[in-house]
Amino acid sequence: MPIPISEKLTPIRKGLLELVILKIIAADKVYVADMLKLLRDTEFATQEGTLYPLLSKLRREQLVDYEWKESDAGPPRKYYKLTAEGRAQLAALNDYWKELNRTLAKLEK
Amino acid sequence: MQKVVSVNLNGNAYQLEEPGYEALRAYLERAESRLQTNLDSVEVMADLEQAVAEKCGRYLGPNKTVVTAAEIETIILEMGPVETPESTAEAETSAGTGAKKRADEKGAPKRLYQIREGAMLSGVCKGIAAFFDMDVTVVRVVFVILAFATFGAWILAYLIMAIVIPYADTPEERAAAYGLRLKAQELLGQANLHTARALREWRRTWRRQQRVWQRSRNEQRHRHWGRHWERHMAEQAHGAMAGGPPPMGHFGQAMAGISLPVFAIINAAMFVAWILVMISAAMTGTIFGWSLPADLPRWGSLLVLFAIYFVLTAPLRAARHGAHHAWGPYYGPWAAISELFWLGFTVLFFWLAYQHIPQVHALLDQLPAFWQKRQISFVV
Repeated sequence: MPIPISEKLTPIRKGLLELVILKIIAADKVYVADMLKLLRDTEFATQEGTLYPLLSKLRREQLVDYEWKESDAGPPRKYYKLTAEGRAQLAALNDYWKELNRTLAKLEK
Repeated sequence: MQKVVSVNLNGNAYQLEEPGYEALRAYLERAESRLQTNLDSVEVMADLEQAVAEKCGRYLGPNKTVVTAAEIETIILEMGPVETPESTAEAETSAGTGAKKRADEKGAPKRLYQIREGAMLSGVCKGIAAFFDMDVTVVRVVFVILAFATFGAWILAYLIMAIVIPYADTPEERAAAYGLRLKAQELLGQANLHTARALREWRRTWRRQQRVWQRSRNEQRHRHWGRHWERHMAEQAHGAMAGGPPPMGHFGQAMAGISLPVFAIINAAMFVAWILVMISAAMTGTIFGWSLPADLPRWGSLLVLFAIYFVLTAPLRAARHGAHHAWGPYYGPWAAISELFWLGFTVLFFWLAYQHIPQVHALLDQLPAFWQKRQISFVV
């Protein structure tokens, strides 16, 4: 019995999530709820349960950092931004991703 | 009508319906256990609680102050299961290559620490359990067995470990204490599971047995040696003796005096026989020619022998204990004499067995050579 296609797609999405999050943070200082909203209608729709641990990992790797900002509704929020190292890694990941796409395109011909 | 529980979510107070509260608590507990190895688990938990709090706020207004169970269910669904990046990596590698996992292992070395949280004494067992990814209860049981088997020497070893092994106090150290899965875990995996189950089972029967012995011992002591004889003596001495019955029946003490060496002899004989059986099993894989079950690993059969010995001698030890207690205030010296008796008989029986049983003679003669070979094979 063949393995359902969705099972093969999930790891690809999971692997790319880090790149996606770095891209979002690179574009603007964001708050977790904003990230979730941005991704909600995409293939990368994700949830707090996944995102917070991932962000904590990225912060450990010193790719992202956050600052507290007052919000008009409720307690202060964490706004994430990229560090210099994060920017470098994002560029590297991006290049690699483009490289992969080029290779795939070449193989199709 | 539903009962309402007030909760504090990262500094915000909310009122939840009780089933909702239970569901949320279960969710957060699961999240916490998933984040056990995460260095920022406290911070991530605070983030998650904050996110839940904000979602709760959405459902509340001036005329609605309680979050219903159904709303909590929705919130939990929205939050999604807590997945650590490590756990997803693991899921991937279990399906695909193992290269990534190995890289992770190298990245996070595991170190032996004592763990204060949930420790019974010092945290040594907890740390060892974390190091080998074992159930802490199994480690404790093994330690207790070792303490018995080495006649207390293991307690000294434990004390040294308690002094020497550092505590995991910072989050980094705690993470290193749990580390990532070690090779040993894979090796132990299956065996561990079986042993854990067997030990738990064994412990249960052991406790039950002990209760039975305790009961019968108490009854015996009180009925025969204690109260019965006290009453008996009191009745006999009534009138002749003023000031009531003696504190303990003389008959009881006499009985204890006679039984003490008898118990010590039986116990020593069993101990010597058991040690010889263990040596034989460890060296040759047979008990003086009688072969062990082939499908059981050697350490497994040694463990079984351990268990058998302790179960067999438990009533004896209980009886010796009972005999000690018959001496009431003289318990201390009496117990010491009894131990000396035991030690003397043990040495005597060893010597007798060595002199008069050829198999034992041969076995003990091989022991130094075996030990040397063992050490060489360890070194190589």
